[in-house]
Amino acid sequence: MSEAPVDSRTGSGSERARREAAVVSPERHPVALGGQGSSRSSVGVEARDIHKSYGPVRAVEAANFAARFGEVHALVGENGAGKSTLIKILCGVARPDSGAILVRGQEASFSGPLQAQRAGIGTVFQELTLMRWMSVAENLLINVPPRGFGGLISRRKLPELGAEVLAQYGLERIDPRALAADLSVADQQLIEIVRALQRRPDILFLDEPTAALSETEVDWLFSLVRDLRDNGVCTVFTSHRWREIETVADWITVFRNGRDVGTARTMDEDEAIQLMTGRTLERIFPKPPAVPESQPALRVKDLVADGVRSVSFEIRPGEILGIGGLAGHGQRQLFLSLFGAHKVSGGTIEVQGRRKRIRKPLDAIRSGMGIALVPEDRKSEGLFMPMSVRDNLSLAQLPALSRFGLIRWGKERASVGKVIRTLAIRSAAPTRDRVSAMSGGNQQKVLIGRWLATDAQILLLYDVTRGVDVATKQEIYQLIVEQAAAGKAVLFFSSETEEMAHLCQRVLVLREGRVNAELTGDDVQADQIVAAAMKDRSQ
Amino acid sequence: MSGAETPVTTVGRGAAVASWIWTPDRRKVVFAWVAVVVLFLIGGFIKSGFASGTGITTILLVASFTGFVATGQMFVILVGGIDLSIPWVLNAAGLLLVTTSLGQDDHALVAVLLTLGLGLVIGALNGIGVGYFGISAVVMTLGMNGVMQGLTLGLTGGMTCDRCTASAPDVVRRAVVGNALGVPGDLFIWLGVTALVTFILSATVFARRTYALGSNERASFLAGINVKRLTVVLYMLSGLFAALAGIALTAFGGQPTLGLGDPYLLQSVAAVVIGGVSILGGRGLFLGVIAGSIILVALVTLLQALNIADSGRDILYGVVILAILLLYGREQNAR
Amino acid sequence: MSLTRQTAWRAPSRHFVAQNSTTLLALVILVFSVVAYLVLYYQSLGHFPDQYDLTTIIDTALPLAWVGLGQTIVVVTRGLDLSVGGVMSVAVALAASRMHDVGTMILWCVIVLLVGAFAGFVNGVLVAYAKLAPILVTLATLSIFEGIALVVLPQPGGQIPVGLTNVLTNPGHPYALIYLFLILGIWSVFRRTSLGTAIFATGNDETAATANGINVARATLAAYVLSGLFAAVAGLFVAAQTTAGDPGAGNPFVLTSIAAVFLGGATIFGGRAHALGTVCGALVLTLIVSVLFYANVNQLYQAMYEGLLLILAVLLGILVGKLARTSR
Repeated sequence: MSEAPVDSRTGSGSERARREAAVVSPERHPVALGGQGSSRSSVGVEARDIHKSYGPVRAVEAANFAARFGEVHALVGENGAGKSTLIKILCGVARPDSGAILVRGQEASFSGPLQAQRAGIGTVFQELTLMRWMSVAENLLINVPPRGFGGLISRRKLPELGAEVLAQYGLERIDPRALAADLSVADQQLIEIVRALQRRPDILFLDEPTAALSETEVDWLFSLVRDLRDNGVCTVFTSHRWREIETVADWITVFRNGRDVGTARTMDEDEAIQLMTGRTLERIFPKPPAVPESQPALRVKDLVADGVRSVSFEIRPGEILGIGGLAGHGQRQLFLSLFGAHKVSGGTIEVQGRRKRIRKPLDAIRSGMGIALVPEDRKSEGLFMPMSVRDNLSLAQLPALSRFGLIRWGKERASVGKVIRTLAIRSAAPTRDRVSAMSGGNQQKVLIGRWLATDAQILLLYDVTRGVDVATKQEIYQLIVEQAAAGKAVLFFSSETEEMAHLCQRVLVLREGRVNAELTGDDVQADQIVAAAMKDRSQ
Repeated sequence: MSGAETPVTTVGRGAAVASWIWTPDRRKVVFAWVAVVVLFLIGGFIKSGFASGTGITTILLVASFTGFVATGQMFVILVGGIDLSIPWVLNAAGLLLVTTSLGQDDHALVAVLLTLGLGLVIGALNGIGVGYFGISAVVMTLGMNGVMQGLTLGLTGGMTCDRCTASAPDVVRRAVVGNALGVPGDLFIWLGVTALVTFILSATVFARRTYALGSNERASFLAGINVKRLTVVLYMLSGLFAALAGIALTAFGGQPTLGLGDPYLLQSVAAVVIGGVSILGGRGLFLGVIAGSIILVALVTLLQALNIADSGRDILYGVVILAILLLYGREQNAR
Repeated sequence: MSLTRQTAWRAPSRHFVAQNSTTLLALVILVFSVVAYLVLYYQSLGHFPDQYDLTTIIDTALPLAWVGLGQTIVVVTRGLDLSVGGVMSVAVALAASRMHDVGTMILWCVIVLLVGAFAGFVNGVLVAYAKLAPILVTLATLSIFEGIALVVLPQPGGQIPVGLTNVLTNPGHPYALIYLFLILGIWSVFRRTSLGTAIFATGNDETAATANGINVARATLAAYVLSGLFAAVAGLFVAAQTTAGDPGAGNPFVLTSIAAVFLGGATIFGGRAHALGTVCGALVLTLIVSVLFYANVNQLYQAMYEGLLLILAVLLGILVGKLARTSR
């Protein structure tokens, strides 16, 4: 196997030289270099009548999209509307079943992301594509490593060069020698962005780039994006946060059910929601019930864990308590800690007034009232994809459905049937239907159903409406309110602040692992929650 | 990827009904049993007596040893693990049987229980290493195999100790080799084991949790399954069946030999995989493993009957396994 | 716009230790083993081992080190190559039956290497393109290659030319040490090539590697080809150490190569391994035999000590790894 020089990987000799030269000389402002041969307001990338299906699921259907050089184009739509798939097609990761892709006005067909990169397209995905066990420098320079003696990669120069690149983008604080796995999620995202920008793309796709970033980091990103725009780069990005879209987008395209349904220079948020959901009605949130006076179901005092500096609160039966705050400020760790899935280093947890030691999920499930957690990512943390609906539903309460270790099928069938009816899960044959074949909303219902079946009185619901269609979301809101009315204590986190604002009687806002604010009554509004999330208490 | 794609279309009704019954897992089991029948037909055609009553019985008898080991191996493969310590647990078990019973029937029960206990203990150690300490299955069981090898050879002086020359107790030998209704007792044992394991894997909480663990470890943990304890139990079962195979083989041959268990390591993995169990865990039906064991032994016997030299046998063995893997398609992939 | 919030970087040396903790541990274990060997040898014989002793030890370890090199590369991609034993057997069989004089010796050395590479190619195609599980593919090809070895050399016998022994494992000259450094040198070069980066990236995360433009299938294929190639080299070294050929010579190396790699600190989870660790592992496994001998421990217990050492080394590696990374 010969070790051929890697021109084929990084493009032609001159292109490679251009890129490497650009990386090595720090005095040139990174975004001063514009794209080659791109005139302003000419179409950078275009999708015409694209179709793409994954098995029986039509992800993108007759989709049309065009983005120009020198502009920032926002792609909005609900989860599952096809935005990510479209981007994957346009950047060469996926191939369309039919339709055309045009780059700079000419038809293009990519056999892989590498080809797209050579055509000047750069992408930052939702899923991180960093090599976790390689250093930051290795990751940044993976395609353009510094070479030394005999054309071999110079490992000594790697961190130096990496530091230079980081400095160019104002990220001096990140250690180029650190392993990617040791960085925070936000820092990993930053590195992803830098790596894409480093390749000097003329066309840039950013798929949910701000999901893990803090306010300052989002501002940093958008300032970079504006610089890129001013230098003629065509930028396309997706986001769920309307504020961001309003701030930086020149154009907005809405996707629904796999196709584009509207493009405009500016849009009202309501208008956008209408287009996204196809409804003229606003989302209807059921009203949460009044909380009766009673002993708290759960009392947490000075809880300390990795990511949780010190949290104390109480929640009563019938209460829907929201846990708000910007992403990555300890909410996830808090939920996991309360369920015994995250190491707790201090503080106490009391269930119904009795102190409980919760070291593993089994402890939580068995702790008197029963604590249940519906985790963040149903596919990787919740469901057993190749297993049946029945198996997924009954798993957490098998002990109750069995005798001497043998499952009592009749009892199981009854329990499963009840849950399916209560939640209106679409499954005609729960013993045979696999959850892998179900829609996102249905899958989420199965996961929630598993925990409802255990009759746990304390429900920890973490982002249960993520990736779920609007109709199912409504059903879930209704379910949450009903459960509260039935006396369950619900701890609720959602990445959509609107949901917390409407469903919770009270919201605790976390910042950097501590409770920054407590909002009750009329203060429970989306903008208040966000404001409280950003306010620095040390001021 | 986050954000599920909402399906816009649904699968046709006919296809849905067919996929109910004809699941990929069941397909593989049926395929494996068809292969068994085909092998016997071909064998009977090529070599007279191959598919006769005695012929089949002999093959089944030999297959039972692979079958026992494969049963244990299946339990750990179902959760994505592997047990490389089988060879010397088996060998040690055989030696323990004869050295504690010294061929005497009144010590037989104790000897058998001790031997099975050995399998359980070694399995437990494996399980603790894998489940509690996070040592990878390959390393832990590989190391344990070495430990058992050294321990066994050392304690028995290379199998030259006085007690080692004893035979298995008669009562055990009769149970394995003795005929009842014209069929060796071992086959009844195998039948019993098969029935028991099939039952366990379809009707118990333990089985559900095992398949769940093999399917998604994180989700199992968050669903309240005690992953560590379950892992230990599964490796204990693997050790138990390796010991059982050691007893059966020793009873069959009369005495334990050096390297008795060596061929069974790779055979057990092959049998499990041919039987349709995914090497990644979470999928697979036990009846397929039985078929897989029979296929392997029938294949080797057929090749022997054809007077093909050792070398040809090895080559064909490997080619057949590859062919079957390719036929099973990408479902057997490792990523 | 800058996000500078100056946080002190860790010193490069701290990073080095943290990121290579298990390799360093293997080195430490080697040092301990060497010290134990020297002490026990001295206690037993009254003097320290001479050059002959030491060279013999390295010679004995060389085949394992070579096959371990290839196995290390495969382990990086999250696979295992069980067929290396078969490739080694074929190499020995060919050496014993086809090499007679210098001319044929050189010719058949080249052929053996090509055969090894081709064997790896077959494995690689099945793993990378047919997407079959490595452990299963190499299980099957192990059997096939063992059969081929028997075809080439049905009975132990044949004649290994003295020339091969002189070049590869001559105890009279310290070639052994040179070969050891050659192994490390090859790894060093390998890590600094694009292929090496591609293989490490593949072992890290295939999806991410593809998104970075790396051809994962090709990298995986290359890993197995290299494994086959180095297994063939190892086979030549085994042949060089005997006068006659044994078609089953490669069998023990299947599991010992894996042991050497994991003793050396590699992880089964991919993307992290170092040949230095594997070489240390090979040397330690070889030294154990001598250590036990001079400690008057019953040689029959050898496998037990090897097994215990492997388990303890990996256990320690896990602990050390956790400590190294959590102390920020």
